[in-house]
Amino acid sequence: MAERTTSGTPAKRSVRRRFSRRKGCRFCADNTLKIDYKEIRNLRYFITERGKIVPRRISGNCAEHQRKIREAIKRARNIALLPFTAGHSLD
Amino acid sequence: MRTYENIMIVHPDKVADEYNAVVEKFKGVLTDLNANLLKVDEWGVRKLAYPVKKQGRGSYVLTVFEADPTIIDEYERRLRLDEAVIKFQTVLLEKGFVEEAAAAAEEGANAEEEE
Repeated sequence: MAERTTSGTPAKRSVRRRFSRRKGCRFCADNTLKIDYKEIRNLRYFITERGKIVPRRISGNCAEHQRKIREAIKRARNIALLPFTAGHSLD
Repeated sequence: MRTYENIMIVHPDKVADEYNAVVEKFKGVLTDLNANLLKVDEWGVRKLAYPVKKQGRGSYVLTVFEADPTIIDEYERRLRLDEAVIKFQTVLLEKGFVEEAAAAAEEGANAEEEE
């Protein structure tokens, strides 16, 4: 019984903490936002300077939307709208 | 019938008549294959994110069409054969065709002026 009470309090605390920290998924918050591989302006936010996909723990996306973002970025890369990596130069 | 969306990148050296001929040719190919063209959007010449066939830029042509899944192979084979097309990608639109503003085309539009 004593164990129960002790295990109950830290769980509560961590829940409270998570709420204050959470960024939340912007796509869940706003239904009007669309994920489209052709609109690279919106996708740019989800890639780093070197062209890597920003992880979910940083972007704050939920699993579903992160998956869609990932799919969109890969499609955009395939058709040369987004780089695979920085430093492609022609000259 | 399914709805597909195809983007092809036409070689930047193809200008004016040559370029139009390529676009018309592939429109013709699609109608020959019994596809129903829904939209053809020419984005114009844009900078590529990485060089493709040694080209730093290319003109994007977006085509949305309804077709049977069986013709996609043939269509892509034809695209591959044409030297004027340096890259292409076909995507299945699961939700069908939804009309929306072509905002993506704008970003590359001013790439022309940089040089």
